[in-house]
Amino acid sequence: MSQSMFITVFVSIIRLSVPIILTALGNMYCLQAGIMNLGADGMMISGAFGAAVTAYFTGNPWLGVCVGIICGMLIGAIHSLISVEFGGMQNISGLGLNMMAAGLTSFFCRSTFKTGLSPNVASVQNMPWLAGIPLLGPILTQFSPILLILIIVFAISCYIMGRSVAGLRIVAVGSDPQTVETAGINVWKLKHICVITCGALAGLAGAYLSVGQLNFFMENMTMGKGMLAVIAVTVGRRRPVRTVIVALFFGIFDALQLQIQIIGTSGIAPELIQAIPYLAAILAMTFDFGKKLDDVNMNPYLKNQYKF
Amino acid sequence: MKNSKDSLVPILTPVCIILTAMLLASGLILAIGVNPLTAYGQMLKGALGSLNNLINSLNKAVPICFAAFAVAVSTWAGIFNIGVEGQLVFGAFGSAIAGAYLEGLPPTLHVTLSLLAGMLFGMLFALLPTVLYVARDLNLLVVFILMNSIAKLLITFFIVGPFAVPGQMYAATKEIQKSARLPYLVTNPNKLTAGILIVIVVGLLLWFYVGKTTSGYRLRACGENAEAARYAGIRVKRYQAGALLAGGALAGLAGGIEVLGTYHRLFDGFSPGYGFDGIPIAMLASGNPFGIMVGSFLFGALRVGSTTMQSKAGVSSEIVTFIQGVLVTLIAAQYIIQFTIKKLAEHKPEKGGAKQ
Amino acid sequence: METAVNMKGITMRFPAVVANDNVDFEVKRGEVHALVGENGAGKSTLMNILYGLYVPTEGTIEIWGKPRHFSSAIDAIHAGIGMVHQHFMLIPQLTVADNIVLGEEPRSKMSYLRGQAVEIVEQLCLEYEMTLKPKEIVSKISLGMQQRVEIMKALYRKADIIILDEPTAVLTPQEIDELGRMLKKLKTMGKTIIIITHKMQEVIDFSDRVTVLRRGKIVGTVNTEETTAAEITQMMVGRNVSLGGHKEPVETTGAALEVQHVSYHDGRVKKLKDISFLIRRGEIFGIAGIDNSGQKELSEAIAGVIHPDEGCILLGEQDITKKHTEAIKHMGVGFVPEDRQKSGLALGMSISENLILGYEGTDRFRKNRILIDKNEVLKAAREKIERFDIRPPQVGAIVKTLSGGNQQKVIVAREISHSDSLIIANQPSRGVDIGAIELIHKTLVDARNSGKAVLLISLELDEVMMLSDRIGVMYDGRLMDVLDASKATREQIGLLMAGGMIHEEQ
Repeated sequence: MSQSMFITVFVSIIRLSVPIILTALGNMYCLQAGIMNLGADGMMISGAFGAAVTAYFTGNPWLGVCVGIICGMLIGAIHSLISVEFGGMQNISGLGLNMMAAGLTSFFCRSTFKTGLSPNVASVQNMPWLAGIPLLGPILTQFSPILLILIIVFAISCYIMGRSVAGLRIVAVGSDPQTVETAGINVWKLKHICVITCGALAGLAGAYLSVGQLNFFMENMTMGKGMLAVIAVTVGRRRPVRTVIVALFFGIFDALQLQIQIIGTSGIAPELIQAIPYLAAILAMTFDFGKKLDDVNMNPYLKNQYKF
Repeated sequence: MKNSKDSLVPILTPVCIILTAMLLASGLILAIGVNPLTAYGQMLKGALGSLNNLINSLNKAVPICFAAFAVAVSTWAGIFNIGVEGQLVFGAFGSAIAGAYLEGLPPTLHVTLSLLAGMLFGMLFALLPTVLYVARDLNLLVVFILMNSIAKLLITFFIVGPFAVPGQMYAATKEIQKSARLPYLVTNPNKLTAGILIVIVVGLLLWFYVGKTTSGYRLRACGENAEAARYAGIRVKRYQAGALLAGGALAGLAGGIEVLGTYHRLFDGFSPGYGFDGIPIAMLASGNPFGIMVGSFLFGALRVGSTTMQSKAGVSSEIVTFIQGVLVTLIAAQYIIQFTIKKLAEHKPEKGGAKQ
Repeated sequence: METAVNMKGITMRFPAVVANDNVDFEVKRGEVHALVGENGAGKSTLMNILYGLYVPTEGTIEIWGKPRHFSSAIDAIHAGIGMVHQHFMLIPQLTVADNIVLGEEPRSKMSYLRGQAVEIVEQLCLEYEMTLKPKEIVSKISLGMQQRVEIMKALYRKADIIILDEPTAVLTPQEIDELGRMLKKLKTMGKTIIIITHKMQEVIDFSDRVTVLRRGKIVGTVNTEETTAAEITQMMVGRNVSLGGHKEPVETTGAALEVQHVSYHDGRVKKLKDISFLIRRGEIFGIAGIDNSGQKELSEAIAGVIHPDEGCILLGEQDITKKHTEAIKHMGVGFVPEDRQKSGLALGMSISENLILGYEGTDRFRKNRILIDKNEVLKAAREKIERFDIRPPQVGAIVKTLSGGNQQKVIVAREISHSDSLIIANQPSRGVDIGAIELIHKTLVDARNSGKAVLLISLELDEVMMLSDRIGVMYDGRLMDVLDASKATREQIGLLMAGGMIHEEQ
């Protein structure tokens, strides 16, 4: 591969990995606190739609990003209400929210724009102000500023999970909420914060999809990325660095399939190539040997139940 | 007094959940400036307004019912089968191929073989996740969801590639032979397919199996407490694998019926969402085959009515996906809803008495 | 202020049960006060209320004369109350120091000061003369040390009043002595201690006063010096209780079960190491040992749930080493598992359905090759409900609603009726009320008297010593020795339970 092609692929990998990594970091908090989140796609698509619609009507993409984050948080709040507060079935809640968000966003998209595809909206796809940097300038401008936000989020997450009191408590509450309750900590408040944070980050990831990576909203544009993020967290054993590596791994396959389609290698049909990331995910799960990092307790934890 | 209230709860809960879903959907309808009553009125007319429409609803209910049966069988074994949609699509493909490329067969045989092909393909699509679960204890939910995504891509590949039909304007498989078409029970005023007979037979078989047989008891034990079943000597993984494959077969059957009965070919992008209807239906009916049949009819009516609602009242039929989602989400909170209903029921006789 | 704790008129109503009914409970400064009652009497509930984990339906609490209202544990902690629960509240993957400071971590804004936590723990260890390793991961330390971590948690939070819930349940006799010494030390340092227990020996050895609860109500409070174990038991149960069944002399003929050089790996850990013993017909063979010494794996291996890597197991003449549970059950082996809710019952099913679990394939319950004979099932269920006094006596009652004792009776009824040669009972009286224990003991001894072999596994040393003809002691996957029950002493067994070593700490 020539140098320019290598750079193109590299840029592509980073750009396609951003939503997966962001959602994965969000899910890391959620899973570490003991709540399974199958609703990541729902959080992402709400964020994507919220951002696109806001950008469309106000012309301000950053406002769109904020709205996207809030939309993700709302979905997260519903999931949290059912899973944490009411102790309901987490898997079903997540899946239901996926369906609900998909239906909601498609419905409003079609009602507002007449089709499942929105017109182009204001976006933040580039960082032209970096052009001045020698050597790397032209490459760096191709990324959305949301990439910078991602790097900050990653750094903060490493600190939180590794060195902060909050991180210690999150690990504790995921391992044994009973112990945490007897230590005098509010278990539910902690879990709520983790799930809603997940929603915020997934919403941000979705907003990136519609106003950072592209500049429009399309039905089902998350294409199962939320699920890949959850797998990344599980395979990455809920540790920040490992999770990001696995998410990048999926990003690589995503970029690969896009590149192959663009180049147009003969023989292999595009649909099979598009299936590569999903197959990669299944392979990652199948060949995930090695010590499972201390079981997290995913059972519903109810208040005032006859449990001590 | 309390006993009669207790037995009402299994029926009251689904009703409450359905009403809440419809209420929230009205919110959406209002948001786009349409009167919900008009919208629902159009929906009802479109679904049940005439015998013609009623038959449409019944036809639609059939594949939905099989998909719900597929979910139910898995649920009896304690597994949440979210992969029905993918298995349904792949099964539809199997039936489409068998219906189109097998020639010179008498109709009854052709239809039967094509349906069996659908069941086989559905089962095959469930095979990989089942094997991964039995061998490596993989998270089935996640694998199923991935498989659903793969199914659509795979079908597109087949339709555009090896099974392309030269000269055909739209992307679909070759039209099935006339001998493979699902026969009609009634043709006037509208065509009611024989699928409805098959559904009733399968429903009865399932009810009989799970309620009266030793094997059915063991399957339920696996679902109730897999660990205790294991200690009791029941081969849990075997039963669960059987349930998953049977679910795949039923899902494939659903897809096959859609192809042989309605479309007569498999269109690119075919993913009717029956797999996702099946989940709330099976759960609200608590796995009861008769409840499932009733629920499937309601959903069939919902889907048929929603197309009318879209054309006559301007409400996008995507609202059905939204309602699906709300139902499933509320089901997740089922116990709280049940609890609230019970609490409210207890409050009534104590009105005017001491504070609880 | 002489009264540390004064609980007045405490009533705790749950949806299914009234756990505490108008209870008055008073603890004096600096005393060791025992709270006793049988399983289900409401002792743990009362103390969980004192620790703020439950909010009582009615009643008031005064600490050091001041009225207090606890809406969660943190309120109780701030009032100077600490609690060590029966099931340890520890995070296995964190260190000793992390666990001790959790909830009140030494911090600098958002950062957790791990190093300082270690220093604080070392300081406390010196102050209270306890030995702990602050940097050790909790999953790797012994149960005795884990308990010390629990006590240290309370001391770190500056508790003056310390509640211990069944503290000796998982300890060897030597560790129990060590605990006694620690309690005396804490008492001299001015702490007030409440112990929940159902073991008479500990009440007599450790406490100054005793309060007895029965079925959620207070029976009375007495000075320990002025009463006897028998009197306290009488107060606890309200009638004379005869545990241990009635053993008759039996001709112990032939080996019902022979275990030869059995070893087993679970992942990388070797759980059973070269175990050999035999059980004769008409004999109760008891297995004593601290938790997680391999008892569970041994029972599962015999029942066919798992298969040994090495060695063989003979039932009578037949080799059952590789056989599946289904086949072994058909050969007449009954198995009462350790955790009834997790492994013994389908909680969502009815009593009659649970009574055939594992035996649905027997000829009696089958109508033909595929159908279940519902009538036979119901008839058999009614018989068993009556014979074992299962309440509520309705075949259709959902097992989840039954009490612990009744749930256990369902399992015992089921397994005993279908057993022929051997019954395996793992923790049969855990969490079960005395009435049910009486029945279960009688059932096991009757089985023995009629010529069956019984393998009894229990963490309650008293139960093992009372029921067994011979006692095997397990430690760390090994069978340390087999003793004659009539001649064995507590001390001997205790030594073997700890691995045959004299000092308690490795």
